[in-house]
Amino acid sequence: MKKILNDPQNYVDEMLDGLVAAHPEIYRAHAHRVIVRAGEKKPGKVGIVTGGGSGHLPVFTGYVGNGLLDGCAIGNVFASPSAEQMAETIRAVDAGAGVLCLYGNYGGDVMNFDMAAEMVDFEDSIRTRSHAVADDVVSASLDEAEKRRGVAGMIYAFKIAGAAAERMADLDEVTRLAAKASDNVVSMGMAMTPCIIPQLGKPTSTIADDEMEMGMGIHGEPGVWKGPIKSADDLLDEMFDTLQKDRPLTAGDRVSVLVNSLGATPLEELYILYRRLAARLAELGVKIVMPLVGRYATSMEMTGATLSILKLDDELEVLLRAPSNCAFWKV
Amino acid sequence: MKMQITSSDLKSALRRVAAHSKSKREELCAADAQLGDGDLGITVSEGFDACATLDLPEDVGKAFYEMAKTFQSVSSSSFGTLVATGLMAAAKETKGRTSLDSSEIAGLLSLARDAMLARGKSSLGEKTVLDGIDAQAKALQEGSSAALDTAIAAARDTVETFRNRQNQAGRARIFAEKSKGLPDPGQLALVVMTEGLR
Repeated sequence: MKKILNDPQNYVDEMLDGLVAAHPEIYRAHAHRVIVRAGEKKPGKVGIVTGGGSGHLPVFTGYVGNGLLDGCAIGNVFASPSAEQMAETIRAVDAGAGVLCLYGNYGGDVMNFDMAAEMVDFEDSIRTRSHAVADDVVSASLDEAEKRRGVAGMIYAFKIAGAAAERMADLDEVTRLAAKASDNVVSMGMAMTPCIIPQLGKPTSTIADDEMEMGMGIHGEPGVWKGPIKSADDLLDEMFDTLQKDRPLTAGDRVSVLVNSLGATPLEELYILYRRLAARLAELGVKIVMPLVGRYATSMEMTGATLSILKLDDELEVLLRAPSNCAFWKV
Repeated sequence: MKMQITSSDLKSALRRVAAHSKSKREELCAADAQLGDGDLGITVSEGFDACATLDLPEDVGKAFYEMAKTFQSVSSSSFGTLVATGLMAAAKETKGRTSLDSSEIAGLLSLARDAMLARGKSSLGEKTVLDGIDAQAKALQEGSSAALDTAIAAARDTVETFRNRQNQAGRARIFAEKSKGLPDPGQLALVVMTEGLR
């Protein structure tokens, strides 16, 4: 294992200390492994919280900020935070208008957020709504879309729900828009090397030196095939065609796209993918709005990339373009 | 025979369950290691240990709530969250009261079972702790006077009834074939918890 760390046990807490120290105008540590926005709460604004395991920065904690999320409960690397941490995050951000819990669709996180919602209802009478983003098209078939895992596309749901809350939409409306963004985004990924959980010290899965895995999940969940490494254009084509089969785009559509590094893949290679993506979309007659290319949702030091496509309408586009400010996404 | 159960009864029950769980800790871990990550004995023992030190409020609903909160914060494993979910169901039902009647236990177990089934998105018959709780709720409904012995017997019988079946839920599902012949760790944990009430 080659990692920059002190004691693996302190990996998460020292990472959070550093994040808050670097950006004190954006993040504030509210309680143990609970990060909220710096500054005062806006009375009457719907709160939006997320949560999940560490190891994916900027997801999840990074997206706390103006026009985005209000708070985040942080777990160990790839492990769900506890329901009590989530409940504490909800309490911290509630400004009287209720709280939306918006997170990735993983069993432990779903159970704990549901429990947290019951807890704040029982003890604090805080109204909550929940939405689990499930954008990874290879993790389950279209007829079982509700079983899909949440990956990079969830940042679009954060952005759109965050913008709606900033405009003082009520809890039901913020939830509706979060679900709408989430229903309109699809993602697919591929990996060339696995990642290492600091406390384990060894990779959770293996990929041979001359191979890659198409469709691998962001915790190393098995994908659709393992085999020789394909060219960038072929990779992009396979991912694009899979997404296109799932949620077909036609001439005149508008989309935002995210070409995301899973950690180790350099920007250069992301732009080689983007080049092909732009060509494919142009060929279809689909317009790209606010493309994102970079490290937006990672899996530690995994080499690989994900492609996410969000289909826009006027309502979603206005919210996507609304101002936002966190350390990783400024609009 | 009817009996009123107050918050201080719950507190002394928690101490007994904590002590018994501690004595069965290694046994539960060993059973869990066959099918999971082998920490179930620790989850149960530490969960009840922490609950036993709580200063429980007089309101039994709030007492169940404090237990739920404590249990899940000690262990955010799915078993910990499920136990907390069951306690939470009891908390909602009894909120605002200073005692509950022993005849209500079957009803509370049914509510806990249903809440846990919903949270775990599982069904009865999948060889989980829920099958044990279901058996207890049904056995107690039949109104035996020796309620605790009935509940212990129901939990133990469930382990044997399911021993030769396959696990169909949770992490143990991955070991479906291997799980035949092995007792379900969650069902065993329920035996331990119920025995501890004595």
